[in-house]
Amino acid sequence: MTRMIVWVCMAAVLGFAAPALAKAWQVDPPHSSLTFTNTYQTVTYTGQFRRFNAVINYDPSDLAHAKFDVTIDITSLDTQNSERDHTALGTDFFDTAKFPKAHFITTAFRKAADGKIIADGVLTLRGISKPVALTVSFKPNGNTATLDVTAQVKRLDFGIGTGQWADPSMIGDGVTVHGHLSLKP
Amino acid sequence: MPLRSTDQGWGALARAFHWLIAVLIIAQGVIGLSMVQMGLTPAKVRVFALHKSIGLTILALVLLRIAWRLTEKHPADPPAMPCWQIRAAHATHLALYVLILAIPLSGWWFNSASNAPLVWFGWFDVPSLMHGLDPVWKPRALLLHQSLFWLLVVLLALHIGAALWHHFKQRDDVLRKMIVGTGEKTGGGR
Repeated sequence: MTRMIVWVCMAAVLGFAAPALAKAWQVDPPHSSLTFTNTYQTVTYTGQFRRFNAVINYDPSDLAHAKFDVTIDITSLDTQNSERDHTALGTDFFDTAKFPKAHFITTAFRKAADGKIIADGVLTLRGISKPVALTVSFKPNGNTATLDVTAQVKRLDFGIGTGQWADPSMIGDGVTVHGHLSLKP
Repeated sequence: MPLRSTDQGWGALARAFHWLIAVLIIAQGVIGLSMVQMGLTPAKVRVFALHKSIGLTILALVLLRIAWRLTEKHPADPPAMPCWQIRAAHATHLALYVLILAIPLSGWWFNSASNAPLVWFGWFDVPSLMHGLDPVWKPRALLLHQSLFWLLVVLLALHIGAALWHHFKQRDDVLRKMIVGTGEKTGGGR
């Protein structure tokens, strides 16, 4: 009888610890990217984070159990300009000595009025956590899929380049982040 | 004051090009040597942007100046000048033209290989000469830009020295042709 109760409790604990998540996907790194566009001296440039780790649970018919959990290696920043990258990792900007990683985790998925899927979540960047919403576009293709997400982030909300660097005509405040993930089962 | 040059003196337009480009080159040299010493602040970024804009302006003015020069006469060399001096003067002038085209071009090239923005006085984007960052050509373009600048400094010393030598030692009208144009002796006379 005691053993029976133990088993029931264990099952309950495991059940709570691992709630039913939507289909789990593996990210195919060579075919996936995490890019962003911003302006520098009013000129648009594109950068990317070459290393990130994304845990993706997603089924378009089961949004209630969808989850994205993404960890970004900020030191893998590449804007194709070595001086700019070096500066961006320094204390005035990302300060990777203190904050080498950023983290995004979804809190809820919803369908917007125009039919688009929105993933609400929290982005933690440079030690600051703020809500960030992703627009999600999921395209299944046989047993693989591509997932494209876009978000608008304001760098100053996260204290990136404040003070003397805050001037948006020098560095734009708005940053469009785009994730393109190639997914395998 | 005639717009066009004659064999007696430089026209108003040629002189305007000469002195405007001269002032910009001197300012550009001072800015270029100072800006590389600055700590990384937004001011440094703005001074670099100014240096790039002035450099492109010089490039455009030199091209216009050359185009204009091809359409008009230029003053004759002083008759008393020995052959080697005429050759040296012409070679220096040619080298100066080559340098004041090549220095802004090499700067533009360095900027392109660095994948840095290029906006002329904040008005419009100037295209890159390369396809994005080029870590191989970037240091070469910078070395070329700096080397040509120091060569220009040497040639400008010769150029200015020769102009002053003509004026004060030879007491001819070579410099006056570039200041007042026709070389006519204005008052006093020599």
